[in-house]
Amino acid sequence: MSQARRAAHVAPTLVDAVRALGDDRERGFVFVRSNGTERLVSFHDIATEAERRAGHLAARGLRKGDRVAMVLPEGEEFVLSFLGALFAGVVPVPIYPQLTFKNIEAYHDTVAHIARASGASLLLTTAATRPFVEPALARVDTLRSITTVDELTGNVGHVDAQVAPTDLAFLQFTSGSTSRPKGVMVTHGNLAANAEAFMLHGLDRDPAVDKGVSWLPLFHDMGLIGFVVGPLFTNIPCVFLPTASFVRAPRLWLEKIHEHRGTITYAPNFAYALVAKRLKDRDIEGLDLSCLRVAGCGAEPIQARALRDFAARLAPAGFDARAFLPSYGMAEATLAITFAPLRDGLKTDVNDAGHELVDCGRAFPGHELAIVDDRGCRLAERQVGQIVTRGPSITGGYFEEPELTAQTYRTLPGEGPEPWLHTGDLGYLAGGRLFICGRVKDIVIVRGRNYYPSDIEWAVSEHLGRTAGLRRGSVVAFGVDVDGEEQLVVCCEGTSTEAPAIREAAATCVAAQFGLTVLEVVVAPLASLPRTSSGKPQRRKTREMFADGTLRRVGPYATRFLHTTGKERD
Amino acid sequence: MQAATMKLEEGARPTREQLLTMFRTTATEVVEKDFHHVLESTVISELAIDSLGMLEIIGSLERQLRIQIPDESLTGLNTIRDLLDVVEKRPAQ
Repeated sequence: MSQARRAAHVAPTLVDAVRALGDDRERGFVFVRSNGTERLVSFHDIATEAERRAGHLAARGLRKGDRVAMVLPEGEEFVLSFLGALFAGVVPVPIYPQLTFKNIEAYHDTVAHIARASGASLLLTTAATRPFVEPALARVDTLRSITTVDELTGNVGHVDAQVAPTDLAFLQFTSGSTSRPKGVMVTHGNLAANAEAFMLHGLDRDPAVDKGVSWLPLFHDMGLIGFVVGPLFTNIPCVFLPTASFVRAPRLWLEKIHEHRGTITYAPNFAYALVAKRLKDRDIEGLDLSCLRVAGCGAEPIQARALRDFAARLAPAGFDARAFLPSYGMAEATLAITFAPLRDGLKTDVNDAGHELVDCGRAFPGHELAIVDDRGCRLAERQVGQIVTRGPSITGGYFEEPELTAQTYRTLPGEGPEPWLHTGDLGYLAGGRLFICGRVKDIVIVRGRNYYPSDIEWAVSEHLGRTAGLRRGSVVAFGVDVDGEEQLVVCCEGTSTEAPAIREAAATCVAAQFGLTVLEVVVAPLASLPRTSSGKPQRRKTREMFADGTLRRVGPYATRFLHTTGKERD
Repeated sequence: MQAATMKLEEGARPTREQLLTMFRTTATEVVEKDFHHVLESTVISELAIDSLGMLEIIGSLERQLRIQIPDESLTGLNTIRDLLDVVEKRPAQ
């Protein structure tokens, strides 16, 4: 291992890091477009283009610390504009593009909210996307103008912004499942600390060998920090493909790893499950994935089964299951909080409820991790409590949300003045390794006993899978208040024919394994439970829908619903 | 990836009725729920198929029809009719 590779530190700011790569005209980022063509933008060109775009932002009156909202669906435009803003000392605010089939009003509400909450004075988009965001912006009074990237032509002068590690680099808006999106303030120092943690300590990256391959959206922390920021700080080339291209044709992800000899990739659990489900034997032919040394998994609860299915499916292509690297993180911690050790693969633990949980590894050097109870006292090994962490990767809080920041980032008794990020996640430590159990707010307390919805959901799903005529599927469990007492509701998805058997099987399972009587087993139409953009069932949203009566149940109603939406029936 | 759910003559352009049938069959297969009642006027957001599921369906249609639908054409689709319009407009690769 060379000395250079063992370098303990990265550049102090992302701007310094990109400038340091400016002589490299051979290596850089490859952007795969949705039509299949590829373009290499060398590190030299990235640095030059970032300078050029910085000049344009300054020429449009943006000063250090001003915010610029960005709705840029294409990876190349996004990365270059994001860095352009950083070079000008301007704070980019990425907003996800509308590539969904939901109603446009909900999207406009989100865009308007983020633009307003960030106080962005300019919104940068593309000519094709502009018509979809423009209607939202009339309501945002801070916004002075909308500019499209093709309007940024020529060189309009150099801007020499002094950027320091304590400066705000960008605002990462995250949508909590209960609240509107809030902007996490990420400084250059946070970016450097986290990049150093996961790229050097976590991945032991080697610029001579490593290449990242990612289809993750760039307006989320995992895609942006994991594959743009981390690699730029540590001199690693990457290949980016559009998220929608992956979902439409999951093989494309593996094809690009094969073609480019990718060594590091990352994805949420659902993507591994999707590949295992969709790829057939003939899709594996011709793929050689023996180059892949890290297949990271994070961003949502990790199911051991999904990773095992993926490994079995891809074993003929030379995929080595030791490449799996389960991890845990969130935007408030910049990105990564814990990583499983390299080459450890999938390790699991079985909790008291018989639920198999995945080992998410340890915290990074210079960072602390603890499990605490309601009063903030540290808990012993194997005791479940809230996961808290502190260290240089932990951000300073939410932009212009002092109360929310104070609730989330707070000190612990007897632990000094430096606040701990309270993640809101439940977990336990075993042998110093972290296991995630769910969300603090989702615990169901029935007659003084704590039940973890994920345990109940897992048990019911498994039980349905073992019951004749039924299959494993999405299950959501939550508590509702009935005359001041909490009671358990379980929601499953199924057809009207299956519904009676599902209700019976779910109630029996909960009674047998948890000693609980279910208030109701709701059978909702297949694929109808609310999910996040990454496909996770949303427990709290489901609970809200249950409470306000909008949760759909299978039966004659569902069939009638489809018939009456069509006008040409008669 | 999925088995082609409907065989078309090489180079033949499917009729509108065939496209609707193809959507129904593909959606039923991908989402594992019966979508044979879907009509052209059905509003996509009322089908309770999440956006990942819709993209999977579109990917399968692209493979069956050997077409490629540009991402920008997928923004602002409201009904199944809008989706079939986009599918119909794309010439074979």
